[in-house]
Amino acid sequence: MTELERALVAVGSELEFPQSRDAWPRIADRLQRRRWVRPAVFALVVGALALGIALAVPPARSAILKFFHIGSVTVERVETLPSAQTRPFATGLGPAQPSPTLQLPAGLSATKYYKGPGMAAALIRYRGKQLLYVRLRGDQMGFMKKFVSPTTHVEEARIGEFGLWFDGSPHVLSWEFGNVHTRLAGNALVWLDRGVTYRLEGPLGKGQMLALGRQITR
Amino acid sequence: MHAYQGIAFRTAYVIARNASDAEDAAQDGFVKAWRALGRFREGAPFRPWLLRIVANEASNRRRSAGRRAGLALRAATEEPSGGAAPSPEAALLSAEQRATLLAAVEGLPDEQRDVVALRYFLGLSEAEVAETLGIPQGTVKSRTARALERLRETYD
Repeated sequence: MTELERALVAVGSELEFPQSRDAWPRIADRLQRRRWVRPAVFALVVGALALGIALAVPPARSAILKFFHIGSVTVERVETLPSAQTRPFATGLGPAQPSPTLQLPAGLSATKYYKGPGMAAALIRYRGKQLLYVRLRGDQMGFMKKFVSPTTHVEEARIGEFGLWFDGSPHVLSWEFGNVHTRLAGNALVWLDRGVTYRLEGPLGKGQMLALGRQITR
Repeated sequence: MHAYQGIAFRTAYVIARNASDAEDAAQDGFVKAWRALGRFREGAPFRPWLLRIVANEASNRRRSAGRRAGLALRAATEEPSGGAAPSPEAALLSAEQRATLLAAVEGLPDEQRDVVALRYFLGLSEAEVAETLGIPQGTVKSRTARALERLRETYD
């Protein structure tokens, strides 16, 4: 580096940058606003009760679920999925932790635990299958995103404050723990309960997954 | 994305040179990046990808706003007195030299000024500057060389 370049670095180190407000609440608000556009319009027309009925009707459900947030998870329905590969559940979760990072219901054990800012996860065995269980602090919009294709089945799940069940064609999961990671994901249950977002993923049906989810947030 | 708030704002600020526009540009950049996450090339570095979106937003605001204020030096370092000491790099230059050099940078054409600000003021690598401004790395090199040549006239 020349003397002039060093001088420029020196000027840079003494620059006055105005204090910027934490932009995150406004960013979250803008993303959140989008969440309510379709349901709000819909609710104006048919009322809150009809929303429940609409969720049971696939075309209406697809429209409503085009862009949706559940706590820290955003779901976006797209025509074409972004390219992604099948990868192990633990991809991008960082190194396995030596001690438990979250509590599991009695009778359930984990083979590995993971931890990140606002995130704890475990690989668990349940009914002979390996599942990924992730718990996210609920207000971290921008943390995890799911892209679902028109052939991915998404429906409401009665768990916690609000839940969604994903099966059918795999969906693409994109999340940010340090770097952005992407992989294909199969059956999954996502729900929000008391400000915490929960996600279970693995080769189980909706009924079994719901039973496990209810044990977790009982 | 929380981790990139600071650098996103500073990138927007050195380009837009207005705090309010920089905040808006960074915010719009984050929202657009979030919505475009599906098009993000896996394995590519995330920071320059995000900064490119933010820089683009900031450039658009600069274009539409006309004359802008210039960057400013921290007042405290001009008269260091018992409190915060200037950085080791800053100690190499007098306050007057810093002000003169900054004014010279502000006098550069925008395309050279942006390269210098991102490279030296924010400490981005050459590759990151290229990605952030959406130009080839060779162009970053040539713009940097031209800018340094002009600045040398002031500095020497």
